[in-house]
Amino acid sequence: MPEVHVQIDGRELTVPHTFTVLQAAERAGIGVPKLCAHPALAPIGACRICLVEIEKQRVLQPACTFPVSEGMVVHTNSPKVRDARRFVLELLFSERNHFCMFCEMSGSCELQSLAYEYGLDHWEYDRAFPRLGVDASRKFFVMDHNRCILCRRCIRACDSLVGNQTLGIKNRGAQSMIVADMDVPFGQSSCVSCGTCLQVCPTGALFDRASAYMGATEEITRVKSRCVGCSVGCGVEWIIRQNRLIRIEGDWDAKPNNGLLCEMGRFAPLHETRQRVRTPLVKSANGFEETDWDHAASMVADKIKAAGDKLAVVVSGFATTEAAQAIVTGLPGHKSLADGAAPAGAGACLSVLDEADLYIVVNTDVAKLFPVASFAIKRGMRSRGARLIILDDAETSLDGWAACKYESTAVAKAVELAAGAQMPAIVYGAAGASVAAQMAKALPTSKTVAFAPGGNTLGLAGAGITAAAPRKDARCFYVMANEMAQPSSDLLTALAQADFVAVQACFREPWQSIADVILPTPTTYEKSGTITNAEGRTLALQAGTQPDAKSEVAVIQLISSLTS
Amino acid sequence: MAKVTLCTDWLDVCSGCHMSLLDIDELIVELVQHVQILSTPITDLKHPPEEGCDVGILTGAVSNDHQEHVAKQMRERCRILIALGDCAVTGGICTMRNFFDVEDVLRRAYVETESTIPGQSVPRSNEIAKLYPQVKAVDQVVKVDLHVPGCPPPAKAIWYAITELLAGRIPVLTDDLLTYD
Repeated sequence: MPEVHVQIDGRELTVPHTFTVLQAAERAGIGVPKLCAHPALAPIGACRICLVEIEKQRVLQPACTFPVSEGMVVHTNSPKVRDARRFVLELLFSERNHFCMFCEMSGSCELQSLAYEYGLDHWEYDRAFPRLGVDASRKFFVMDHNRCILCRRCIRACDSLVGNQTLGIKNRGAQSMIVADMDVPFGQSSCVSCGTCLQVCPTGALFDRASAYMGATEEITRVKSRCVGCSVGCGVEWIIRQNRLIRIEGDWDAKPNNGLLCEMGRFAPLHETRQRVRTPLVKSANGFEETDWDHAASMVADKIKAAGDKLAVVVSGFATTEAAQAIVTGLPGHKSLADGAAPAGAGACLSVLDEADLYIVVNTDVAKLFPVASFAIKRGMRSRGARLIILDDAETSLDGWAACKYESTAVAKAVELAAGAQMPAIVYGAAGASVAAQMAKALPTSKTVAFAPGGNTLGLAGAGITAAAPRKDARCFYVMANEMAQPSSDLLTALAQADFVAVQACFREPWQSIADVILPTPTTYEKSGTITNAEGRTLALQAGTQPDAKSEVAVIQLISSLTS
Repeated sequence: MAKVTLCTDWLDVCSGCHMSLLDIDELIVELVQHVQILSTPITDLKHPPEEGCDVGILTGAVSNDHQEHVAKQMRERCRILIALGDCAVTGGICTMRNFFDVEDVLRRAYVETESTIPGQSVPRSNEIAKLYPQVKAVDQVVKVDLHVPGCPPPAKAIWYAITELLAGRIPVLTDDLLTYD
């Protein structure tokens, strides 16, 4: 790639000719303030805080959009530049209603920290005090227009990252307002509540109900880990304060999600309403009784020993690979997967979805089950003009996006339509495997993207747990359930007929009517280990908080030591 | 050398900024070695003397005609005027009523509040100051020489501002001395 020579603040730099001044400065470690610019978003030069002085340019230029050129000389911190940035800050503060003293984001606000940096102790302009609304119609986060600086990060994130295009702007100039769809309340819009806009907002205009006032930037630590809610295996950051999880953000550096999360991954753990299991519980005449580990573990071990070959160990996709290995080596009985087996062909890279020009989704509600993958599909449709064909007998959340929808067996019709595509991506879960295989054979240029039913189904399979269902004659069950909320009806039926059911779970529900013993286990943000996602990549879980409890593996090892 | 003279007053406030001034704790002993405090709302003498003072400090926003009078009198009687706290600097939390009509604000406060005995009315005596339609920052009414924001400003920011002035320098608030909350 051709390179150009530029001088920034006296430093000679050689950078690719496609770089902007901001990119060149950042590569050299020269800090330029920014509010509308964001590493994951295309620059638009809306906020003017990144103004720099470029020699031979008539006026100051925004660094985020201005391309570098040969011999360019840039000053990022001259008195003229600093004055201009102060002026921009004064305008931003005087336009809407910024009250730091009771703002949820005080201490974590990019606007506030810039004002501190530029020593803004007051502003000269009269304030307009526009009467602006607060939209709290969404369940997990709130939009306060009073604090919005119209940087349009949210709009660009919703468009170019999530592909949803829910957000837009109405009116012009000082009357501009961020709106959803055709100016409807956010909660009634096409918003999928993934919270990407929340994560990129530089001020308190978008704030999370659960983490409001819970901890400012200086008070929190960030731990990189993974979401195990589905087999996409998104990279997350646990935001921790004093050993408590206060927020979850997408990890910008992580593949395959590149910073995106879905509603479930970002909010569900913080809004969990089920009752947590902290100590071992044993069923008694009136519900469950708390007991100690010795009693509960020896009771489970005795039942396991007595069951002989009538023991079934069922493991959910929330379990780590290490837990699966401990189960395979330490517990007797028949091992199976609580979520069912992975479809054949799993292991393709999800980046295929960002290259395909046609998506064929077979028998899988991608937007509901693997939402972050559906963002890639929407992104491809919006930005590259890719098309979508759905083969499904049931309604799916992407139906409105599809060019055509056929019944799940209409392979021939789909193949005929797809014949002209350069690179069709065939997307499927467990139910669509056989149809997808036929289609892949008929479309030689196609790539397949298969999703496993549970977050770590492939990791469990790698440890040797591959059976899709427990043995029919099992009478005694040990269920490694973790956060699992909706066991399949087949599993529930099997458990209802069993003589004894021990469950290792984070929450009482839905096990309180099924289990004889419930053993506590850490949640995903409390444990470390590894998982394998649908791409077949091994990903590390890192504990955000340190619970005073036995680890997933330690519980298995305890039972194991008592049964051998 | 004669001591530097200081007067303070409050306008539309919660009084937190004066509490923060008292939060300089034992440094107040050192302060009075260099500064003669002539009047404050929390001492016996409430009003700046006609002969004036060196430094005047105003906390709070300007919400009514009386407060504008107090602000103007302080401006006339001091050489250097400090606007102390968010309300004085930007109008602060007091400006939250700027989104409502004054009559609605009065009715809410004197008639509709849950704890108000039914049948009460808004007091309208000429003795009582008249609320302005919009709450203003001090510098929208009089010239301000130094702004010290904060809700309240930290005691050390107040101490820094005063000691810098005593040393003959213009205080520049940075780092943890500059705060909006």
